[in-house]
Amino acid sequence: MNIFFQQVLNGLTLGSVYALVALGLTLVYGILHIPNFAHGALYMVGAYMAFYLVGSLGANYWVAMAGAALIVALLAVLSDRLIFHRLRNAPPLHDMIAAIGLLLFLEAGIQAIWGAEFHRLAPPYPQIVRLFDLVAPAQRLIIIAAAFGLMFVLHLFLTRTLTGSTIIAMAQNREGASLVGIDATKVSVLTFAISGALAAVAATLFAPINLIYPSMGHLVIMKAFVIIILGGMGSIPGAIVGGLVIGFAESFGAFYVSTNYKDIIAFALLVLILSFRPQGLFPSGARA
Amino acid sequence: MALWKHLVHTAGAVTLAAGFASVASAQETVNIGYTGPLSGGAALYGKNTLVGLEMAAKEINDAGGFDVGGKKYKFNIVALDDKYSPSEAAVNAKRLKAQNNTPMVFTPHSGGAFAIQAFNEQDNFILGAYTSVPNMTERGNKLTLRIPPSFAGYVQPFINVQMKTFGKKLAMAGGDHDYAKAWAQLFGPAWTKAGGQIVAENPMSYNKDTDFYSGVSRVLAASPDVLFIGGASEPTALIAKQARELGFKGGFAVMDQAKLDEMAAVTGGMDMLEGSVGVLPLIYDKRPGTESFIAKFKKLYDRNPGTEASYHYSTLNAVAEAMKLAGSVSDPKAIHAKLSEAYGKLPPEKNPARITSVDERGGTNANIVVGVVKGGKVETVEAASLGQ
Repeated sequence: MNIFFQQVLNGLTLGSVYALVALGLTLVYGILHIPNFAHGALYMVGAYMAFYLVGSLGANYWVAMAGAALIVALLAVLSDRLIFHRLRNAPPLHDMIAAIGLLLFLEAGIQAIWGAEFHRLAPPYPQIVRLFDLVAPAQRLIIIAAAFGLMFVLHLFLTRTLTGSTIIAMAQNREGASLVGIDATKVSVLTFAISGALAAVAATLFAPINLIYPSMGHLVIMKAFVIIILGGMGSIPGAIVGGLVIGFAESFGAFYVSTNYKDIIAFALLVLILSFRPQGLFPSGARA
Repeated sequence: MALWKHLVHTAGAVTLAAGFASVASAQETVNIGYTGPLSGGAALYGKNTLVGLEMAAKEINDAGGFDVGGKKYKFNIVALDDKYSPSEAAVNAKRLKAQNNTPMVFTPHSGGAFAIQAFNEQDNFILGAYTSVPNMTERGNKLTLRIPPSFAGYVQPFINVQMKTFGKKLAMAGGDHDYAKAWAQLFGPAWTKAGGQIVAENPMSYNKDTDFYSGVSRVLAASPDVLFIGGASEPTALIAKQARELGFKGGFAVMDQAKLDEMAAVTGGMDMLEGSVGVLPLIYDKRPGTESFIAKFKKLYDRNPGTEASYHYSTLNAVAEAMKLAGSVSDPKAIHAKLSEAYGKLPPEKNPARITSVDERGGTNANIVVGVVKGGKVETVEAASLGQ
């Protein structure tokens, strides 16, 4: 039974990190109408920023997280203003190519500065919490708590504030939103900033129990793509539930079946769910 | 930027080398080829291997070169980037031989080495393969030098140390890449043969996973005494750390790809690695000769050298010696035949890797020592002292 709860804990940890990344991806999908391939690179830059702020400037972990979120949010906004916004009248394929270009640019840039080797963010809370027979490193509990806290705040922001509602409105119908006087530029800047910040927070949360390297975003972004397809493109509850589904599938699959097959299990689940619900779990929640 | 610098550097080296080649008789320079990953994810590893060659060449050249048949020769290292790709390594090797007339080409990965083995005998150059895959020398290629000793030599000492200290139950949690599989195929059967028992087998993708917790808890559920782990140092360290966090008290048998000192950097000290056995990190090697190599390297590059650098440094010194013994800088067969004698003749400070000889198939032999973590320190244990 303890081993079972251990896997629940693992699933929650993985799932909440995936969900944070997928949330950013799904929000930006509402604006761009294509998945932003560069999102994984933003996640990676977030980890490097936290690593730099803690390692070279000696910042506190939470300060570094806020700093990384701010820098990556700025980077995401810049990428919108300088690249995606200018392509708004081009065919969607151009957005995709630009996103891939941005991904390669960010990866090469980080590698030129910090090199290709592994880096590590020292765990700020190395304690291990032992409850009965359950072993939980403090950092894993922090990931779960912080991720769910952030999702809750985001939910409140999107549903309970006027600014938040403009994001939803814009995702649902761009022309309609403009007609009722919503400033499209403001909304897209805000959306990109939120998605960048979410990616950076996810990376900073996950970094202390993992390694930092230029291609670290690939794995996570691939999972995030699966999650938003699973949850329904553009759907916010879909991203959260999808993240947890994939997290649990990996954690239980790795334990009860084989570590080698855990990705197969996650993808088999995707195929299964999509064959019964081709529109995803929560179809076009934001674009309805 | 690093890539650009490298491109400029390589282009410079190639032009320079081409210049040298045309006036080879006057300048008396011997070009030595190198193809390895100098950009991309394995760039650091590639540079660590290349630096050993460059250091040896610089030292030999600064001392006025080496005598072959009454003439003084200098080394010039021509390095090309193959991005860790076997096909690009083969193209580079062809090019090095054709353009720079290199009697020897080094490569630090088994894929590239296997690809080059397809034509190095016809093209007449020695392949210096930095890989401990035993298979490298089993194919009867007469112009191959396998630089490190085969990893098979580590299997028995690792088993002896771990079984004696922790017990007979082993769980296999190594990587799922080719090199780790080759290791596991030797290690598992040898463990059972020594009277042990394998209680769990769960290879993991060390480079492709986001998290190892589930995989590690899976093997620990079989309550093993010893864990076999290994891939690149950093993920290996994460696995060791997570095993300790989940309450594992036994020992780790660490495959030679991972280095104990690099792992300690991730786990925050040797405490979590207590009881591990692995290859001895070069910086803990206190034998004379090795120590002076480390000091020289630190002075030149301002960092600690790795095992890769020491093997390449020793080997280029041996190549110079073999050329002297063979009386030729351009006859690869004659040079290859003298390599064994050449390694034997090197003084310890020129042979920090302690290679003693080369067998008839082109594989090196060395005095194998292993590192055991005891009381937070890495202790040197001679494999011979364990009674194989």
